[in-house]
Amino acid sequence: MYPYLLLVAATAVAAIFATPVRRKVWTALAVVGAAAVAAVAVAVRALTVGEVVLARFSTQFFGDEIIVVDRLSAIFLLIMAVASVATLIYSKGYVEHYLKRMSTAHLSLHYVSLVLLAVSMMTVVVAGGGFSFLLSWELMTISSFILILFEAERTEVRRAALNYLVMMHIGFMFLVAAFATVYAAEGGTTFAALAGYFSTHDALPVTALFVLGFGMKAGMFPMHVWLPEAHPAAPSHVSAVMSGVMIKTGVYGIMRVVAQISSMPTLSTVGIAILVIGIATGLWGVIMAAFQNDIKRLLAYSSIENIGVIFIGMGIGYIGLASGSELIAMCGMSGALLHTVNHSLFKTLLFFGAGNVYSKMHSTALDSMGGLSKSMPVTAILMFVATAAICALPPLNGFISELLIYMGMLDGVGEGRGTLYFLTALVALSLIGGVVVLAFTKLYGIVFLGSPRTTHVAEATEVDSLRLAAMAIPAALILSIGLLPQYTVRPVIEAAAWITGGDYASTAAHLLPTLSTVSIIGFTLLAVIGALYWLKRRAQSRRTVSSSPTWGCGFTAVNERMQYTGESFAEGLENLAASLSHDTVDGRTIDKSEIFPTQHRYDVRHKDKIDRLFAAWWVELMHRINMGVMRLRSGKINHYVMYALLLLIAVLVLTLLNLI
Amino acid sequence: MLARILNTLLMLAVAVSITGVINRTRAVLAGRKGLRFFQHLFDAKVLLGKGAVYSPTTGILFRLAPCVCLASSLAAFLFIPVADLDPLLSFDGDVVMVAYLLALSRVSLILAALDTGSSFEGMGASREALYGALIEPAIMLSMATLAMLSGYTSLADIFSTARSLDVNLTIVVLLAAYVFLKIMFVEAGRVPVDDPRTHLELTMIHEVMCLDYSGIDLAMIQIAGWLKTAVFAMIAADAVAAAVCFDWLLAAPLAVVVAGLSVGITESMRARNKLSRNSTYILTVTAMSALIFLVGYLLLQNIEIV
Repeated sequence: MYPYLLLVAATAVAAIFATPVRRKVWTALAVVGAAAVAAVAVAVRALTVGEVVLARFSTQFFGDEIIVVDRLSAIFLLIMAVASVATLIYSKGYVEHYLKRMSTAHLSLHYVSLVLLAVSMMTVVVAGGGFSFLLSWELMTISSFILILFEAERTEVRRAALNYLVMMHIGFMFLVAAFATVYAAEGGTTFAALAGYFSTHDALPVTALFVLGFGMKAGMFPMHVWLPEAHPAAPSHVSAVMSGVMIKTGVYGIMRVVAQISSMPTLSTVGIAILVIGIATGLWGVIMAAFQNDIKRLLAYSSIENIGVIFIGMGIGYIGLASGSELIAMCGMSGALLHTVNHSLFKTLLFFGAGNVYSKMHSTALDSMGGLSKSMPVTAILMFVATAAICALPPLNGFISELLIYMGMLDGVGEGRGTLYFLTALVALSLIGGVVVLAFTKLYGIVFLGSPRTTHVAEATEVDSLRLAAMAIPAALILSIGLLPQYTVRPVIEAAAWITGGDYASTAAHLLPTLSTVSIIGFTLLAVIGALYWLKRRAQSRRTVSSSPTWGCGFTAVNERMQYTGESFAEGLENLAASLSHDTVDGRTIDKSEIFPTQHRYDVRHKDKIDRLFAAWWVELMHRINMGVMRLRSGKINHYVMYALLLLIAVLVLTLLNLI
Repeated sequence: MLARILNTLLMLAVAVSITGVINRTRAVLAGRKGLRFFQHLFDAKVLLGKGAVYSPTTGILFRLAPCVCLASSLAAFLFIPVADLDPLLSFDGDVVMVAYLLALSRVSLILAALDTGSSFEGMGASREALYGALIEPAIMLSMATLAMLSGYTSLADIFSTARSLDVNLTIVVLLAAYVFLKIMFVEAGRVPVDDPRTHLELTMIHEVMCLDYSGIDLAMIQIAGWLKTAVFAMIAADAVAAAVCFDWLLAAPLAVVVAGLSVGITESMRARNKLSRNSTYILTVTAMSALIFLVGYLLLQNIEIV
């Protein structure tokens, strides 16, 4: 089987390298499209029959393994297929700009990595054992590393990519340690073996290793620091696929591992831990998101926040499961799974929109934009859908997943067991929901509404229609999940039933009527909005409707520089939560004694305090040790021969002394 | 069905009367004769008959926002029962839907304000977004308190069963009603959080976001404001009704009187908060609702043990 796989892979790579530079994207799209079609076919089959075994084989390292698609994998396969295809369609227009500047080999490498990332993500979720899992995981890391390096001539891109690579490998080591522990005890690393290990040993240490490893990828607090660095550095379509789906493999991993725990007290502990992590991640992410003045950094922090929400849902699910309440478990888990799906849709769309803005403005600074809804109307409408969805506003998809999580919590509060956990989560989730509104009205309002803050922005034009078509895919899915949840959410509830071992029929009987009502209310809401608008227009058509400049409150020399900026919009929150970030200020503010202020430059960045953790004394110490070791690297061949000789002598002496 | 229609009509009556009671209370306390009781309805009627002035900076979003604001407030409004009557809309978990529908109406106005490109409206939008974020936990906590005490997650079920509550819990439900009244002050933009009658745009919150609206749009936003006020006033009155066993005949007037008098008296007696104090004020409301939840939780635990 291996040789054939290698042959297919080699052909695909060769085809991408061989195609002329303008058509590379189509070759890559063909490969990813084929993979996506296969993935969707397998996923649909798995959703109907429950489990599809694709292959069984044995490996040298971790024993017998299996490639299998079950309901959980199927959900993830579906979002990966959608996001990868949309990303490749989008990349055509985005990369156009770079075609002249970059070498052909560089572009080929970019597309090969995109394909590799798409395929390796899919193999991660179908891998049934340590070897295939870790191999796919590593391929995923490497390919995304190359993708971040797209504009490698910029220093900050190289730094972000290296930072990413190092952090991912720290996470990888946790995973290797976890799988090795299981292999040592069970002689296998399939998830069945993991379940066996958990039933005979204390599950907590190994689960902790897994959570640390997967959390690194998912952007779990406080290991999230790579996300806000990597996303602004990477091209937008890469950010879209990384933030939309790649980080979700971390969520998948945790769901998969925790599903093997059978002891209820352990599950309860794990659930509480995940809930607490989720609350911290969500609150930290959303507050930092509201602080940011760069579109892509804001979106990156919002991804962290959404991972937090997903973790909160999972935590609720596990606590509910451990306390024996099936409804809470199902609400929490299906909410978490659905939020994973939803976030993959709206975050992909948001990053595409950010890419449209960047490719026209060559900047992602919030405060230099304004009024883009006039020059880029379609982008503005699509971004509006994503903004409303991420704010969890009805009748869009974000609301449905948060509704499920809230229902889990409210049921939990009523149940009387673990009330305080549910209460804390409820407070956190509603606060997160409120601050998300602040962060995203800031993003949308400052970038797309008002008047242009620079002449450059005023002259922007709409992007090509292929990119808009790529954005329409997630937008359509957002609407369909939001408006017809009673159909679209069913597979997710089935998957949640599969993970929690709950009964699908009874939960569906409870949840689907609610979702049908939500659907009717959603449609009616849209109809009423339309009707009100139509009535208003009809009434106005017979009256005088005039145009006059925005009311300046008596001040007549208003200009567009006086508009509220992103920084001023979030000022209230910054005053409340100033201690969470440390600000670096470039330039100076206007002094109160200056009656006629001259021109100033003022640039403030709100940096994450956790960043400092990775710039503390121990980093300095390691740096110094490394510099010491570097002195051995003289560059002279005779020195190296001497090192080899010294090593051999050392080995000999130690052997003679029976030390090794 | 008859009960549902009666419920909706009562809610409408509550929504249009509260502003009248507020105006009358203020006039009496200031020693004036005051406006006609339904003057605000006549004002709205005048606005509905007018044309409009739009700024060239604004786009379709600005023109659509009042419709979204009104439609979502109306949707939230239709979920609210009057004591044990059935509301028009209801499903398990609708407390979440009410909170998010109100958020939708808030978001539509925030974005419309930013669409005008005015620094003053940006100011109002920023404040509204912050206070909206801070009050959200208080709303969910108070809803959770009611859900915990009654064991249901839809407003209709909560208030139709809450009448059989244990006597010990009466005080908790009354306190929850008090918090809902506080939330009403914040959501409706009333003194001490915001002053709808202030003359300086710099100090406004809600009013400054609607500076550029005129005619039908302004009327829609005002009507949405009445509906929103009625939502929280009625929930507060329902909680009182549940605690002391009123029925709908008394709950609806109670909502009007309590909300109207409390707002009218507060606005006559005290000035608006300094803006920097508003966050503290709202966080205090949140803390209060957390405290009430915990008291309710402890009482509930005790009762189960004994």
